[in-house]
Amino acid sequence: MSTPHVIVIGAGSTGSATAHDLALRGLRVTVIERGEVASGTTGRNHCLLHSGGRYCITDQESAIECIEENMTIRKIMPDLLELNDGLFVAITEEDLTFKERFLEACAACHIPARDVPVKHALEMEPFLNPKTLAAIQIPDGVFEPFRFCLAFLATARLHGAVVRRYELVTEIISSGKSVTGVKVRDYRTGKIETLGADLVINAAGPWAEDVAAMAGVRVPVQPTPGVMVTLDCRLNNMVLNRLNKPSDGDIVVPQRATCTIGTTSWKVKDPDLITIPPEHIEKMIVQGEQLMPIVRKIPMRARMAVARPLIVKDASDERNVSRTFECFDHAYDGVDGFVTISGGKTTTSRAMAERVTDIVCDKLGIEAECRTREVPLASYRLFYQGGQQ
Amino acid sequence: MKLLDITLQIYRYKQGEQPHYDTFTVQVEDTAHVIDAIDKVWAEHDHTLTFRRACHHSSCGSCALRINGVEKLPCITRFSEVGDGNIPLRIEPLRNFPIVSDLVVDVSGFFQRMSASDMSITRYAESTLPLSVDNLDEIVQPRAVVLPDNLTHFNRFENCIECGICMSACPTMAVDNKFMGPAGLAAIYCALQKTDDADEKAHLLALVDGEHGIWRCHSAFECTEACPQAVDPAGKIMALRREVTANRFKKVGRS
Repeated sequence: MSTPHVIVIGAGSTGSATAHDLALRGLRVTVIERGEVASGTTGRNHCLLHSGGRYCITDQESAIECIEENMTIRKIMPDLLELNDGLFVAITEEDLTFKERFLEACAACHIPARDVPVKHALEMEPFLNPKTLAAIQIPDGVFEPFRFCLAFLATARLHGAVVRRYELVTEIISSGKSVTGVKVRDYRTGKIETLGADLVINAAGPWAEDVAAMAGVRVPVQPTPGVMVTLDCRLNNMVLNRLNKPSDGDIVVPQRATCTIGTTSWKVKDPDLITIPPEHIEKMIVQGEQLMPIVRKIPMRARMAVARPLIVKDASDERNVSRTFECFDHAYDGVDGFVTISGGKTTTSRAMAERVTDIVCDKLGIEAECRTREVPLASYRLFYQGGQQ
Repeated sequence: MKLLDITLQIYRYKQGEQPHYDTFTVQVEDTAHVIDAIDKVWAEHDHTLTFRRACHHSSCGSCALRINGVEKLPCITRFSEVGDGNIPLRIEPLRNFPIVSDLVVDVSGFFQRMSASDMSITRYAESTLPLSVDNLDEIVQPRAVVLPDNLTHFNRFENCIECGICMSACPTMAVDNKFMGPAGLAAIYCALQKTDDADEKAHLLALVDGEHGIWRCHSAFECTEACPQAVDPAGKIMALRREVTANRFKKVGRS
């Protein structure tokens, strides 16, 4: 039997990391992306390499996943990160009531946390609110989602993967109960082509439900956008988080000469059509001022919103769904050769890729160990060299 | 918030067809950026429109194109900066790059140039915050920062986001397609600052000293003018010229 061919739909962080894992395990891989790499959810994310601190009180499973992957990402793409750690700061007495619980939760999740004297924290971050009552340092980092994906895909290509951009999957082809390939439309030429596959992976993020529908199955993904506001000035070296339950506008992620305040959360039907509610922008400024009072004086450089692919478990509050990921083998829905990987975060995309690749290898009868924890990624710049454009 | 009716004339090209312009009108808020209008054209009118984008906040560098003939990042360009709202905005791909489809250009040559020095995209950060930004000088003075106990330095991504705007704006690039280009030369300058190794320095200076290197630049400074990230590639090319010249004198002195 020749080497099985796997098609991955979507070149966001999940699809890119999955292509890398599949290629490293010796499979033939084709990635199909309707736009540029990371042009969907991944591109417009907050760029936070999570330490897990954000979830350690409310969602221990996510927090542990985050800190493990944080350490792995540092190993496999060391040059693609701003590593300045982060602070969780208490501004109000109510925030302060979380301090002990936060330190205990960090310890329980093995997140290294240091209680920093407030005076020292204000010397480290001169624009931090002078009313700060407590500051805890954790190993948050900053990545660039676009280059994050390019690095995974460049490495996948070195191992034989093919990445086809500006091509839309228009049909999922089946024979009996098995998916056997896809039909794609090339936006560069208008041509339609049929590609055969032994298995198709749906990594289309908030568009996963549309892709699944083409195969006649359903995945419970709720597109849930959030607004972020980027300021035209870098005010902090470290990621600044509010010490409290996760809420709107409680984090300022610095990057290069800017910093980005985020985020909010609301539901949409169509992830292609997102209108930014103006009051969400004002909310970011108001909340950002709590962390750094100077925020309102700084001109805005950009603002953006994109839908996260949250898995719906409890319809009453979109914040209460687990932030961890899900992998659906649609053989259980009566469609074989078709797997959806959804939910999750860019920080944990390598782990998501490992899970889905384990399932895929199992289904295809391939025995190969996952090596993505150890193998350093190639330069992201190689993605654009020597391949098709 | 006010709603604006924005008309865009967008360059269209599909392989094997004649290039032309398509005109679309979309409604956006007055606080929106040009990328939002292009995004709306794609979402509401024509999914076959191809364009590059990822971060929407000037970090990835992928969305660069020309608005009314001038290189811009549409993700940070407001409508008030590029017109009065009455005249259609002309949206075209970058110059000096092969066109793949519509607004998408082939950036492989650009990334080859960026790879020449193998410059890391991270560096040590300044020891003050905020970074000096022109429009902030009057509001806030830079303040010294103290490192956390466990870090030896803060680090930061390089300012260059590899958007290709400088290569599109460069008049030398238009006449010499082998020119190493503003961003590529600026990257070599940055790599030079990061190393103390004499052999590595000599290698980098030799790289820029060829016929398609620093001497080919006409000193038009269009790159520095167009750069959305204040990289000042032309200033760095001039600095490289000084270093190469000084190095030659050193060699003469030794022989």
